[in-house]
Parts: sequence; C-alpha cells; structure tokens
Amino acid sequence: MDCKRIQELLSSFLEGDLSQAEMALMESHLAGCPDCASLLAVLGRAQKALAGFPEIEVSPSLKARLIAIPEQKKKFSFSFDFVLKPSLQPVFAAATIFMTLLSFYLFNPDKRNIDRAIDQRIHTGYGQVEKLYAKAGSFTDRLGDTAENVFVSVKNWKIFSGNEDHPYTE
Amino acid sequence: MLVNTYSKRVFNLAYQFAGSYQEAEDLTQDIFLKLYNALRKYDFEKNFTAWLLTLAKNHLIDTYRKTKWEKAHRDEFDEQSAAPEAALGPESGLAQEADRKLVWDGLNRLAPETRVAVILRDIQDKSYEEVAEILDLPLGTVKSRINRGRLQLARILKDKKEDIHGL
Repeated sequence: MDCKRIQELLSSFLEGDLSQAEMALMESHLAGCPDCASLLAVLGRAQKALAGFPEIEVSPSLKARLIAIPEQKKKFSFSFDFVLKPSLQPVFAAATIFMTLLSFYLFNPDKRNIDRAIDQRIHTGYGQVEKLYAKAGSFTDRLGDTAENVFVSVKNWKIFSGNEDHPYTE
Repeated sequence: MLVNTYSKRVFNLAYQFAGSYQEAEDLTQDIFLKLYNALRKYDFEKNFTAWLLTLAKNHLIDTYRKTKWEKAHRDEFDEQSAAPEAALGPESGLAQEADRKLVWDGLNRLAPETRVAVILRDIQDKSYEEVAEILDLPLGTVKSRINRGRLQLARILKDKKEDIHGL
C-alpha cells in the first residue's frame, strides 16, 4: 500500500475498524514512514480537539423566541388562510397566465408592431361590425315593406269586406 | 416541550456548523419555524430526533449555499467554555487549546456535507449508524466522508503547526 491509501485508512486504524491483516499492514508501514506516522499523531489530536468542544446552553431570549413561534404562526395563518384556499387555485393559475402574457407583451422588443397589429385588428373588427349593422338595418326595412304589402293584400280580400275594384290603400 | 427538549441540540449543531453565535441563533429560529410547518408530515414510525436533525442539516446546508459562510470568519473560539482538562498539566492543556482553536477554524474549510458528518460523529458523539440515518446516506459513504473530513482537519493542523515552527 502506498502512503495515499495508508492515509485514507488512518482514521479507521485509530478506531480499530480494520481487518487484522490491514492492521498489520498499517503498523508495518507506519513503523517505517515518518510522514504517515506524524499524520496519524495529528489526526489523533484533531479528533481529541473535536471531542473537546463543549455543548453551549441556549440563551433564554432564544428559548422565548422559539416558544413564541406557534403563536406567531397562528396569527400569520389566520390573516393569510384565505390565500391558501384550494378554490382560489384556478384564479391564481389564470392570473399567472395573464401576467405571463402581459409580460411577454410589455417586454417584447417588437412591441410597436404588436400595438399596430392590435389596432389594425380592432379597426377591421369595428368595420365588420358596422357593415353587419348596416345590413341588418336594410334587412329590417325590407321586412317592414313586405309586412306592409301582406297587410294590404289581406285587407283587400273579399272576406274582409274589401273591394278588389277599388283596392284599399293606406 | 419541543423547545426544551430539542433546542439545545439544534442550536449546538447550528453553532458548530456556522461558527457564529448570532448566526446560530437565527438559524435555530428558522429551523424551528420549519419544524412547526413540517410536523404534519412527520411519520410516527421514524426516529423523531433523527428526523429533526435531518431537517436542521438540510436547512444549514441550504443556507450555507445561499450565503457562503466560508467567506466569513468563525467566532473566536471561547477558551473559557471549553471542556475542562483537570488531569492535564499546563503545557499539555495549552497545546490542546491551540489544537482546538485550529480545528475550530479548520471546520470552515470542510465542504458543508463533510462538516455536518464530522460534527455529528466527532463533536456530538453520534454513532455511524445514527449519522447515516440523519444524513440519509449509506453507512459506507458516511464512514468515508467522515474519514475524509478528519484527514483534512489533521492536514490543516499539521500545516499550521509546521508554519508556526517554521517561523
């Protein structure tokens, strides 16, 4: 085994967590290698130093803050509970989609062209609505005329005491 | 109840990990806040202490990654609070004190995952099995991680000592 491998096993060697064969191999290497032997000594000291770190007491102020957390949480959850309602999830989803689209529009480098295209669409749509309205108007007029003619014809029938020689006119 | 039983363990883990008393207090508070939020998810068949320490470890490492504490210095190691070594002579006591200071500062140079593993095993004296449960890693991985961390600390100690003797 080379020094690198030996050094990797030093910690296990200190804990006696190696097979007998490995332990013997380690011992023979350490006996002839001052570098690895000194690292083993330092490793032992480092572990001793770590074990010597004391446990520190928690300050009363921190304890008080920790104890107060559930109460603070209750207040928080009371005021914001409605936000967490599952029924609001579609609203949040829709708002997210709307905001995403809005951000695409607002931060688009081609915003001016988009504005123009939207204007054009609105104008075209408005024009089409106007045409449709005008058509609807002429259709209503024609319908009115037809209704009038039908009314006059019916009035002139004999059964309604009309006179076909001198027809009724309005 | 929860605070009285577990605050010391969580605080000490945070302090040994971050190396700053103030930081450790803030971290402990954050961890307890997370704990209260996560209590509903706790599986009663699991070991509560290990579950809590896993939660604490995750928070410590996450916060470390966000703030990169390694740039900040650790608090000055407090000699007064160190464990008393009554049986040691003054010279040996001083040498151990110096080692503790170097190791305390050296902890910051370990990767966060390695640091937590070393703290749990060597400072908090947990068994390898307990550390593996807390870190949610196989036993072999935990052992090699701890060995690597110890070796790194030993090298730091050795280099510093050589620097001091070289001066």
